[in-house]
Amino acid sequence: MIFDNNSNKNFLVTKRIQLVRVVILALSFVLLSALAYYQIFFRSRYVILARKNRLRSIRMEAPRGSIYDHNGNPLALNVIMFDIKCYPNILLQDDNMKRIAEALTRCGIVTTEKILDEKLRKQYTTPYSAITVAKNLTFAHVAEIISDENINSLVFPTRSWKRTYPSGKYTVHVVGYVGEISDKELEKRQGTNYHGGDTVGKNGIEYVYEDDLFGEPGEELIEVDAKGRKVKDVVYNEPVKGDDIFLTIDLEAQKYAAELLGDFRGAVVVMDVRDGSILVLYSSPSYDPNSLTWGITHEDWLAMSDHRERPMMNRAISGAYPPASTFKAIMGSALLEKNVANMYSQVYCSGYYELGGTKFRCWRHSGHGTENIFRALSDSCDVYFYTLAHRAGINALTDVAEKFGVGKKTGIDLTSESSGTLPTPKWKKHRLKVGWYGGDTVNFSIGQGYVLMTPLQVLRAYAAIANGGKLVTPYIRQGKVKTAKALGISHLTLETIKKGLYAVTHGGTGTRASAFGVDVSGKTGTAQNSQGADHAWFVGFAPSGQPKYAAVVIAEAGEHGSSVCGPIVGKILSYLITGKKH
Amino acid sequence: MKTNFSSIRELWNRLDKVLFFIPLVLLCCGLLSIYSQCALIDQSILQFGILSRQIIWSLVGLIFYFFIVLFDYKVIYRYTTVLYAILMVMLLLLLVIDYATKGASRWFNLGFMRFQPSEFGKIVWAFVIAFMCSNFPPKRFYDIGITLAVAGATILPILLQPDLGSTLVYVVMLLAVFVVACIPWKYIWGLVGIALGSFPLLWPFLKEYQKLRILVFINPSLDPRGAGYNVIQSRIAVGSGGFFGKGFMQGTQGKLHFLPEPHTDFIFSVFSEEFGFVGSSMVILLYVTLMMRILQIAEKTQDEKARYVCIAIVACLWFAVTESVAMTVGLAPVTGIPLPLFSYGGSSILVTFMMLGIVQSIGIAANEGEN
Repeated sequence: MIFDNNSNKNFLVTKRIQLVRVVILALSFVLLSALAYYQIFFRSRYVILARKNRLRSIRMEAPRGSIYDHNGNPLALNVIMFDIKCYPNILLQDDNMKRIAEALTRCGIVTTEKILDEKLRKQYTTPYSAITVAKNLTFAHVAEIISDENINSLVFPTRSWKRTYPSGKYTVHVVGYVGEISDKELEKRQGTNYHGGDTVGKNGIEYVYEDDLFGEPGEELIEVDAKGRKVKDVVYNEPVKGDDIFLTIDLEAQKYAAELLGDFRGAVVVMDVRDGSILVLYSSPSYDPNSLTWGITHEDWLAMSDHRERPMMNRAISGAYPPASTFKAIMGSALLEKNVANMYSQVYCSGYYELGGTKFRCWRHSGHGTENIFRALSDSCDVYFYTLAHRAGINALTDVAEKFGVGKKTGIDLTSESSGTLPTPKWKKHRLKVGWYGGDTVNFSIGQGYVLMTPLQVLRAYAAIANGGKLVTPYIRQGKVKTAKALGISHLTLETIKKGLYAVTHGGTGTRASAFGVDVSGKTGTAQNSQGADHAWFVGFAPSGQPKYAAVVIAEAGEHGSSVCGPIVGKILSYLITGKKH
Repeated sequence: MKTNFSSIRELWNRLDKVLFFIPLVLLCCGLLSIYSQCALIDQSILQFGILSRQIIWSLVGLIFYFFIVLFDYKVIYRYTTVLYAILMVMLLLLLVIDYATKGASRWFNLGFMRFQPSEFGKIVWAFVIAFMCSNFPPKRFYDIGITLAVAGATILPILLQPDLGSTLVYVVMLLAVFVVACIPWKYIWGLVGIALGSFPLLWPFLKEYQKLRILVFINPSLDPRGAGYNVIQSRIAVGSGGFFGKGFMQGTQGKLHFLPEPHTDFIFSVFSEEFGFVGSSMVILLYVTLMMRILQIAEKTQDEKARYVCIAIVACLWFAVTESVAMTVGLAPVTGIPLPLFSYGGSSILVTFMMLGIVQSIGIAANEGEN
């Protein structure tokens, strides 16, 4: 029986292997038939195709999507220009590389063989796919090149698009700029539509929304004759323009902010406190990106990026400054929230606070007398915060500061945002290898010492106070609104702080901010600067009763927040609410 | 270690000559194509480098081939579990690295070579299938389920890389062994149905270029510069070769760079252009003869596991050959599966020789049993 079973099984196995054999033979027959079909029956057709294999491909970059402000004013557009293209097989023939380089140089486009070689390396795919040898040329250039008998049979012009920024330096820190794709970026985008020589966003909105803006490159596959002249189009795929992007930025307000800030180094940011949309984001000094899109020399680039005033740094989101007295709204919230103080708690300011033999001075050396939270905010009394902060302890303070987003990126849709610094004992131990002192807590309480915030972070914290406790995620592209996080601070605390901030601009240190037709609540700040004159801050929101917008201004070396920045905040908020410029 | 042969002469006498010489002939055809291809590329590309590296890898492959023959394939049974564990660790490691670097790679760069786990994994996979199907004969739903669970765990990390080509190879190997292990037909149809049905589910996991390749297969004018262009140019190469071919070193399609990756993906186009229908059909017949020989050994051997290993290896070879050849005339979408023994690439050559060494060893053992 066992024997029978086995042989029965073997019989079945043999049958199955036979089946595998048949399948392999049958499919191999199909393969052979396919080869016969192409190699025997249609041979002549393919022989002709191969002999005349004169397919050339020209890739056409798509126009990038345009970028507009809130009111439809253009911030980034494309203009028609010309590119000069060449097939690699031509470029590599004889001394063509030298001839083309010389001829282009004669026409005013400084080119060397080395530059051409580099371009070839970056863009090469097959010998018959054209590469761009010169970009962004005007009609005059093209006319000169195609009438130059030395090279007009080697190269040909195509239409192309150049990015232009009508609002130039006013919006560069928001919009960013484009440039030629680098080897590294190309590697990252392997397997996508990108190709050496393409233009990509390098910064700002242009970079963040690159995928939407880029569009779909087109392709022209042409057949040429023996002399390389086009015989006919084989395939023509029109490039598809990238998506247009609308921003929440108000260009007019942005320009106004630039005008108000004048020659100060610093930043102005305005946010809608209800949803986090950014209406103004200006960093000074600024620069015009239009020169970059023409392609500037390495030296010019270095001059710009290494400039002493660092125009390329976006101070609004990358500049980390001591928040100084603007921090007192956050510290005040911490004191109330952790029950170290209530709205009636009083501290006597004699002009200084003594801790372990060191005197910490109030900015007003003669002292403020008896202060509660409202007066402490309105007078910006340091001693009130020194005293209570030390009582609260650093952990209670950082706990609340963290809720306001100190030390964390806001998540705005821009590049190179800084996270600032929220110093904790652990951070200090790790970073500076020394323990936390009581004096550190005292300094921290008035936004000095190790704590650093970006203007946008300060603004967001105030927006959260203004909107009743929602920590929004700031955004610039319309529709990119994210659900706000609950701040986790009690309503009573926020209302108390709000009253204090109201007092600041109504008889307190920031009174000048409210002099422009809208009722502003806010806070001044003067950040100590070891390298020179103090930085001035003002952050506020309006209208005080039903806040819509919050604005922050920092002026590096602006000395006093109240005199320089307060009026700027007042004017810009007034412009946005009433439409009037002062 | 003791070998199974007292002398080289004895080894030679017992060697299955068909199984030894056919791969050598195919290898030579491949070397010719690579030589023809590289001799005319710009001087800047290391023309000798590619050919000599291919020859070195072939020699290394042959050493492994005889190593396996000398020490008997059964040794691998003992280490199947360990090898499988190593394979899984490496596949998962690749996924973790990819996730961390947001990259997508199929290999570890070892400096002198790129080690591609899924390539060497094919050998391990053949033994794992054999082990599963002999211990859990795919007769009952339960046993099939166990094997499928193991298969899923193995194939998923490869699919996630995403390496569609290798995934298909692994699946075909399993299905072939199932068939020979006498799985009831209703399950086979069920599995084929599931495989086809799950394709739409896989679609979102594919990379853009992979989707493009499949779409271009359906409509070549979709991407005339990229994948579509390749197929058009490859077809011109094959077609213009005609009956007798243009002659060695006379092909123009590959030489002029109309063909992309002429020494790896489209090596068969290069060969076909120069040696025509005569040459290409001869190559296909050699592959078929090789596969028939392996099936014969599968039939002859009394070792059930060895039989399944043979079947898995046949399936692996068959799929790679069919896909590589069909692709050159646009009958299959472009995948990066190398043509065994032909395409340039160390891993592929090495793995193919190791597989053939295993089959050779099984054949020798089967003959011994017969005597």
